[in-house]
Amino acid sequence: MKKITSLFLSLIMIATIFCACGDKKDQTDLEYIKEKGTLVVGITDFAPMDYQDKDGKWIGFDADLAKAFGEYLGVDVEFSLITWSNKIMELDGRTIDCAWNGMTLSSDVLAAMECSNAYCKNAQVVIVPADKADQYQTAESCKDLKFAVEAGSAGRDVAKENGFKYIEVIDQATALQEVAAGTSDAAIVDWLMAGAMIGEGTGYANLTYTVELNDEEYGVGFRKGSNLAGELNKFLKQSYDDGTLMNIAQKYNIADHIIAQ
Amino acid sequence: MAILEVCGLKKSFGKTAVLKGINFTLEKGEVLVILGSSGGGKTTLLRCLNFLEIPEEGVIKVGGKVIFDAGNSAVLSESEIRKNRLNFGLVFQSFNLFPQYNVLKNVTLAPSLLKKGTDQEITQNAKQLLSKVGLSNKEESYPCELSGGQQQRVAIARALALNPAILCFDEPTSALDPELTGEVLKVIKSLKNSDMTMIIVTHEIEFAKNIADKIIFVDNGVILEEGDATVIDAPKNERLKNFLASFS
Amino acid sequence: MSDFFEQFPTVFSALNVGFLQTLKLFAVTLLGAIPLGLIVSFGSMSRFKILSGATRTVVWIIRGSPLMIQLMIIYYFPGLILHNPIWGSGEDGRFLAAAIAFIINYACYFSEIYRGGVQSVPRGQNEAGLVLGLSKRQIFFKVTLLQMIKRIVPPMSNEIITLVKDTSLSRIIALQELIWAGESFMKGSRGLSGLIWPLFFTGIYYLAFSALLTALFNYTEKKLSYFKI
Repeated sequence: MKKITSLFLSLIMIATIFCACGDKKDQTDLEYIKEKGTLVVGITDFAPMDYQDKDGKWIGFDADLAKAFGEYLGVDVEFSLITWSNKIMELDGRTIDCAWNGMTLSSDVLAAMECSNAYCKNAQVVIVPADKADQYQTAESCKDLKFAVEAGSAGRDVAKENGFKYIEVIDQATALQEVAAGTSDAAIVDWLMAGAMIGEGTGYANLTYTVELNDEEYGVGFRKGSNLAGELNKFLKQSYDDGTLMNIAQKYNIADHIIAQ
Repeated sequence: MAILEVCGLKKSFGKTAVLKGINFTLEKGEVLVILGSSGGGKTTLLRCLNFLEIPEEGVIKVGGKVIFDAGNSAVLSESEIRKNRLNFGLVFQSFNLFPQYNVLKNVTLAPSLLKKGTDQEITQNAKQLLSKVGLSNKEESYPCELSGGQQQRVAIARALALNPAILCFDEPTSALDPELTGEVLKVIKSLKNSDMTMIIVTHEIEFAKNIADKIIFVDNGVILEEGDATVIDAPKNERLKNFLASFS
Repeated sequence: MSDFFEQFPTVFSALNVGFLQTLKLFAVTLLGAIPLGLIVSFGSMSRFKILSGATRTVVWIIRGSPLMIQLMIIYYFPGLILHNPIWGSGEDGRFLAAAIAFIINYACYFSEIYRGGVQSVPRGQNEAGLVLGLSKRQIFFKVTLLQMIKRIVPPMSNEIITLVKDTSLSRIIALQELIWAGESFMKGSRGLSGLIWPLFFTGIYYLAFSALLTALFNYTEKKLSYFKI
C-alpha cells in the first residue's frame, strides 16, 4: 500500500513541476517571443516557399520573409520542420510560434489560428497526365475523375465544393504520386507547388496542370489570440512599401502573385 | 553411531500434509531404499534432506551433529543451509546436467566455484570419477550428445565430486529407456562396493532387493513398513503387498 | 539518366544525414531499452502482487497501443496539457522525445522476451545448482544466464530488425530520419524538387542495414548452437 501511495505522490509531484513553470497568463505572445529571443517558424519542405539550399540552409520566399520579420522584431528565427497536419498542436503546444509555409487561408485555418493578412495569391489546380490534358480543361469535364487530395487541405475543400469524387492522402506530394502511379486519375494541389514539382526536369515530367478551380490567398498562422499576427501585418505593410517584399518575390519568381499591402 | 538420524520430519504444501512424521536412521556404508507409490512423499523426503524443501517440523542429524532443527532458527539461515546441504548429494530423475558445459566442466564446476582445491586437483579428481562411471572417453562431449544413461552417469560423477557423506537418488532410472537402465544400476552397485552411504528412491524392485541393506515403505506421508531386503519377499503390511503385487 | 547522375551526389549526402539520424535513434533505443527491459521484467515477475500487477498493466498499455500515438503523446502533451513545452522546438528536442518513446515501447517488448527466457529455463537447473552448494548469484551467472541468452536471441533479433524499420514512425513528430530525407525531394530540398526516386532509394539503406544485423544474429545463434536446451 505504501508503495502505491508513494508512487502516486511522486506522479503528482512530477505533474506539479511541469505545471509550475507553465504559462504566465498575462504575458502577450510578443512579450513571450521577445523574452526567449527566438521566433520558431513551423515549415515543411515546400519549394519555392521553404526549402534547403545545397548547404542545407533554409531559403525560399517564405523563409526569407520570415528572416526579415525576425530582424524587424529583433529576435532570432529558428526553422522547425513539422508534420504539417500537426501544425495546430505544434502551435498550442508551443513547439512552434507560427505556421508559415504557403498556408491557404481557408475557413478552417481562420477558425483555428490567429492569421495575418494575405500576402500572396494562389489557386488550386487540377493535375492530370500530360497526354490527357486536352480532355480536362474545364471543371465540368473533370466530374468523372477520381481525385487524390491532401487531407485537410484547401484542395480537399475545393474538391468537395465541386462535387468531385476524391480520396484524402497524407500530403500533396503523395497526391501527385497517386496520379503518376495511376492509382488516382487526377490530383488537386497548390498552383505554386505544382509549378515547382511537375513538368520538365522533375520526377513528374509527364504530369501537367489544367483547370484553376479557385482563387485563394496565403497567410501566416499564429496561436489563437496572439498579437503577433498584428505585428506581422505592420511588417508586411512596411516591407511592401519599402520594396523589400517585392525584391524577395522576384528572387523566387513569384512577383506576379504578391498582394499589395 | 548412525551417520544419519531423521526425527519427526513433517512437511505440507498448503493444506496437504505430505510428510506426517518420518523417523529413521542410517549407518555409514548402508544403502537405504525407499519404496512407495507416486505422491506418497518419497521424493519430498529426499528433497527435504537436500533442503530443496524446508520441513516444518523435525530434526536431521548427520554424524551426530544437528544440521537441521525446525525449532532452532540458527540453522535455518541461507548460508547455514548452503553449507549443510553439502552433506548430501542428489541425483535427479531428469539428470539436470548443465547443457552449456561439457562433461568434464559439469563435474568440475561446483568444486571450483566452491574452491575445493586447486584446479589441477579438481580436474584430476573429476577425471577419476568419470573413469569410475565409465565415461573417460566422453570428457569433451556436451550433454546433448550423450544418451540418457550416459547423462545420468555424468550426473552421478558430478554429485560425487563434492564428496558428500550421503548420496541420494531420486528415481535415477525412471526417465531412461529400459535398455539403458542397466548401465546406471551397475554404477550404483559399484558405489555400494566402495562403501558409499546411499538413499535410493526407485521402482526397480529387483534392484532394490539386490542392493538394499534397509528398506522403508512410505505411503501417505508415513513409514508403513521398515526392515532389510527380505521385506520384499515377505511383506507384512497390506498396502505394501498391493504395491509389490502391481509390479509382478 | 544524366539527370540522375547529377542529382545523385546531392541526394546521397542528404539521405546519409537522414540515415545517421535513423541509426542514432536505433542505437539510443537499444542502449536504453535493453537494460530498462530487464528492470521491467523483474517488475513483472516480482512476488509483490501490486508491483507485478502495475508493471504488467503498463506493459499491456504500451504493447496494446500504437507507437505512433505514444510518440505524439510524449512530444505534444507537455505543451498542450501541462502548458510547458519541455522538448523545445528544435531537432534535438524531437529526437529526445522520439528516443524516450522508443525506449519505453521497446523496453516493454524486451521485458516480455526476457520474462519468457527466464521462465523457460527448467526449474531443475536451479535445483541442480542448489544441491551442488552454489549461491543464487553463482547459479544465475554460471548456470542459467547463458541458457536464457540462447533462448532470447531469436525473438530479440526479430524485435531489433523491426526496430530498424519502426524508426521511420518518428516522422510523425517531424524527426528528419531517412524516409523524411527521401521524401523531402518531392516537395523541394537542396535545389531539387519533384524527385520520386530518393524515397524508394531509402529502401536500399533499410535492406542493407537489416542484412548486416541478420548476419550478426545468425553468427550469434551459430556461436550458441554447440549446446541444446
